[in-house]
Amino acid sequence: MSCFEGQLAAWVAPAHQKTVSTTQTIATLVAEYSTALYRVAFSVTRNAAEAEDAVQETFLRVLRHESRLGEIRDYRVWLVRIVWNIVLDKKRRAKTRPEGEDLADHARALPSGDRPADASVISSQEHARILALIDRLPNREREALLLSAVEELTTVEIAAALGTTESSIRSRIFRARRELALLLEKEGIPR
Amino acid sequence: MNNAMEPENDSRISTTIDEALQSIGSATPTSGLEGRILTRLASQRMKMESAPVRFPLLAGLNRSSRIPARALGFVTSCLLAVIVVAGSVSHSRKLHSSQIVAPPVLVLPSHGIGAASAVHSAAPASAPVPAGQGARGRSSRRSGPGRARIAPHSRKAPGVAVPAPASDNSQN
Repeated sequence: MSCFEGQLAAWVAPAHQKTVSTTQTIATLVAEYSTALYRVAFSVTRNAAEAEDAVQETFLRVLRHESRLGEIRDYRVWLVRIVWNIVLDKKRRAKTRPEGEDLADHARALPSGDRPADASVISSQEHARILALIDRLPNREREALLLSAVEELTTVEIAAALGTTESSIRSRIFRARRELALLLEKEGIPR
Repeated sequence: MNNAMEPENDSRISTTIDEALQSIGSATPTSGLEGRILTRLASQRMKMESAPVRFPLLAGLNRSSRIPARALGFVTSCLLAVIVVAGSVSHSRKLHSSQIVAPPVLVLPSHGIGAASAVHSAAPASAPVPAGQGARGRSSRRSGPGRARIAPHSRKAPGVAVPAPASDNSQN
């Protein structure tokens, strides 16, 4: 029995039948969506610890509303919406804290490639500057662009999470990229 | 030269943006995230189960008969509204039976079409003014015995018949 299964069993043991089924559902949701939710949270917080906190908070909310689990049609969109609201709330509350300064987080976020370490760090710094420019975009465009970066999410799901249409999301992403390109040209990002 | 550079520049910028977005879109959490989440959920569930139920009756209803709390609240509020309305209606009926209030008197103008004078409530009748001491009504001033009073020492023209002078008692 793996550590994961052991924890699950310890959690399930004292609960009665209905609780067991919801517990299993939640455990399945954790196994299936925690990484995607982490990425959504990380796209806003740019901080590993805060992103993980947001994901944990998301599942705590799910636990509090476990009676509604049967009514949910699309778990992925529902969970993305919850984690999105959580990270935006956190960001609003901690506006004074500078973002994107944790280079270790950016380095961790980079896919492991064949690049040497120094090249990775330079690339990480460059990305941090671009992400800072993304923060200067208008809210709607920025949100659409950040969610489009998450691999697991389709445009339809982003539209559902943000409560708008797919075409609106497409045009927002297009505008965001155009605006970002203009900002990059002005800043003169070295390559 | 410049035109040839532009597409190259655009694709370079586009690649840079894609890479930056990929860096956040493909971020991987530290290992054991699922386990940490499940541990926290387990402790939270234990807290929830050990915490005392605030409204045991409602919680029991909710759990056993699947009556949602909202429906229960709605029924309760409807009952309260009915009670309030019934109470106010019965109170106003009592008031009507015990205290019959006369409708206000309208004085219609006898002539003229003046809108302002069309509806005026009648002025309350003024209380009679009490008579002062020694005062008499205008009609009673000429009333009396019906005889003229002549001073005892008045001179009379000859040949005029006058009544006898009134005594002192009758003067008062």
